[in-house]
Amino acid sequence: MKRFFKALGKYFADFGTAVSKGDIWVKLSLFIMGMGYIGRGQVIKGLLVTALEAGFALFTIKISWPYITKLSTLGTVQREEVFDPLTMSKTVNDYDNSLLILLMGVLGIVIIAAFIFIYIANIKAAFRTMLLKKEGKHLNNFREDLRELVNDKFHITLLSLPALGVVFMCILPIIFMVCIAFTNYDAAHQPPSQLFSWVGWKNFITLFANKQGSTFGYAFAKILIWTLIWAALATVTTYIGGILLAMLINHQDTKLKKMWRTLFVITIAIPQFVTLLLISKMFGNYGIVNGILQRMHIISFLQNLGWISTSYVPFMTSSGLTHVMIILINIWVGVPYQMLIATGILMNIPSDQLESARIDGANKFQIFWKITMPYMLFITGPSLVTSFIGNINNFNVIYLLTGDFVTSDGSLAAANAKDVDLLITWLFKITSESVTKQYYMASVIGIIVFIICATLTLVTYSRMIKGDNEEVFQ
Amino acid sequence: MKAKRAVGSIFRHLLLAFLAVVWLIPILWLFVTSFSSDPGIRTTRFFPEQWTLANYSKLLFHPDTVANFPAWFKNSMIIGIFSCIISSAFVLMVSYAFSCMRFPSRKRLMSFSIILGMFPGVLSMIAIYFVLKMFNLTDSLAGLIVVYSAGSGLGFLICKGFFDTIPASLRESAKIEGASEFTVFTRIVIPLSRPMIVYTVINSFLAPWMDFVMARLMIRSKDPTNWTVAIGLYNILQKTLIGQYFSVFCAGGVVVAIPISILFVIMQKFYVEGITGGAVKG
Repeated sequence: MKRFFKALGKYFADFGTAVSKGDIWVKLSLFIMGMGYIGRGQVIKGLLVTALEAGFALFTIKISWPYITKLSTLGTVQREEVFDPLTMSKTVNDYDNSLLILLMGVLGIVIIAAFIFIYIANIKAAFRTMLLKKEGKHLNNFREDLRELVNDKFHITLLSLPALGVVFMCILPIIFMVCIAFTNYDAAHQPPSQLFSWVGWKNFITLFANKQGSTFGYAFAKILIWTLIWAALATVTTYIGGILLAMLINHQDTKLKKMWRTLFVITIAIPQFVTLLLISKMFGNYGIVNGILQRMHIISFLQNLGWISTSYVPFMTSSGLTHVMIILINIWVGVPYQMLIATGILMNIPSDQLESARIDGANKFQIFWKITMPYMLFITGPSLVTSFIGNINNFNVIYLLTGDFVTSDGSLAAANAKDVDLLITWLFKITSESVTKQYYMASVIGIIVFIICATLTLVTYSRMIKGDNEEVFQ
Repeated sequence: MKAKRAVGSIFRHLLLAFLAVVWLIPILWLFVTSFSSDPGIRTTRFFPEQWTLANYSKLLFHPDTVANFPAWFKNSMIIGIFSCIISSAFVLMVSYAFSCMRFPSRKRLMSFSIILGMFPGVLSMIAIYFVLKMFNLTDSLAGLIVVYSAGSGLGFLICKGFFDTIPASLRESAKIEGASEFTVFTRIVIPLSRPMIVYTVINSFLAPWMDFVMARLMIRSKDPTNWTVAIGLYNILQKTLIGQYFSVFCAGGVVVAIPISILFVIMQKFYVEGITGGAVKG
């Protein structure tokens, strides 16, 4: 934390020096950003930067500023339609659209922040150019600048487009969602006909405090526990299953390796929504599995034992059994993927390492534990955490398998949840399939999921990112 | 010793055969049901009593007001190809920058991206819907392509892990001979990473085919010609339609699997090929 503030202090101190010690061109670039370059003969670069500045000014003044000023209230003028009998047409007043205000306001602020960052960097760069010129060193012309972009500064070329995409598709929506968690945006406050407004921490309190008349707290605890159990079991079973299957297929005695691999890969070739829907119908109350069990008289046998009271085995419709079935079916879905990944990596183990171990007299067991496993974990370590997080957010498996599941728990049903829901499917149901469309509760749940995932990642990765082991195998 | 090994080998093959059967039963059922003359779910017999091609002809040549498979397939294909190209390029670019280049605040940027990548997609989808609606991109293929590919740069972790295993000496020796970073990226790292590229390409092509949540959020149209395969097949399995369309659904599943299977056959050999072994003699 201390280091952060130190770095921040230095950041602005550098800016101060640049402004105070810079010559006339540096000072001019405080107003017209390109002047610092034009003054040193880098005309094209100067003009490009100035054009950027002009574009920013135009956008902010013309488009985003009116929205930013309304952000504090999210609009006050409600939409009203007046029918004019003379012209036979409807006139609509100049109303405020809360959603548009929030969206454009956030976008405008993000753009302003980005511009300030570029602005400061620009002054510093102009100052550096001045120093270089003073020392009589070579200044890049435009062509040399461009060449740098495929060489020492290649990372800028590589990262800028993906970064732009990430800002628009990830960062902006996240800020936007966090904002919605603090509003009362739901079906009753739906723009453009209605306004919504800020409500503070009220929604978070609803989720954690078990108030009278609200079952969100109860549902949240129950669903959170199942989400974590599910993610842990689903990750471990498919990971181990995948490695074991890969080793079974790649064993030196195994004949027809390619055929076996293809047989399992076929299951990936059919999209999950087809296979999952199909399997959920197979195990349905009146599906083929129950039909065959019936024909084999297993149903009546189970009835005699008193294990089931229905004329079918409720694979996908009773609380405990469905949980187990979901995890088993997920093994079916996930193992071929993991097998493929593991195969690719097993084949890639540096053969010199295996050979030298063999020459040194290590047996197969030792080679597996001392070379294969560390190598596997080094490469798949990240993907293990990713798949745990992916399973927390595994929408497809849960949603497609449990379409027929009806909860018998009234408190869960009141919160639009089911026993087998994950947090992610719960929030989807709140926004898309409930009548009240409590976007604000969905946002709160989303923020909680995010905090869980981010904490997990940080704990696991802090060692990996800090440690220098990324060069171990290079 | 030899006998023991033979027994182990037989046991191993029996185990594999058993597992393969378990894994293939649902696929087989999908396949045989697509030839069933009974349109609804059969409950008592694994194989249909009467075989017919009617489901396929209905699916492919006689689109009705509910099921218009040719249109769905075309939509999904367009989305899949474009978002596959864009996201594979993004992933490879980001991975190279993070794995092979050293620049200030690289690690900070990496940690930030990792955390950002953990954000539940479905949640931001709802916000993305509002964002894209502002740009009038909902209910359009372009909107879906943007949704599937714009944020894909965050999925660099596995690919970066792979790039980390490519010997740095290869890149360094190229640079000593005067190659630029761009040349190293396109001429050395990319050709050496074929298995990883295959993984990336398969993943990013499959993502739009597999997904239906985002498609359903983005496509609000009630007109079947605007749906993707995922939405369409999901919709014909709704309670009121399943009795007439279940076999058609199975036929659709088989047809969808064809382009993906072809891809897999072409690419599978790259997938498991060892590459770095022997690249640098040392």
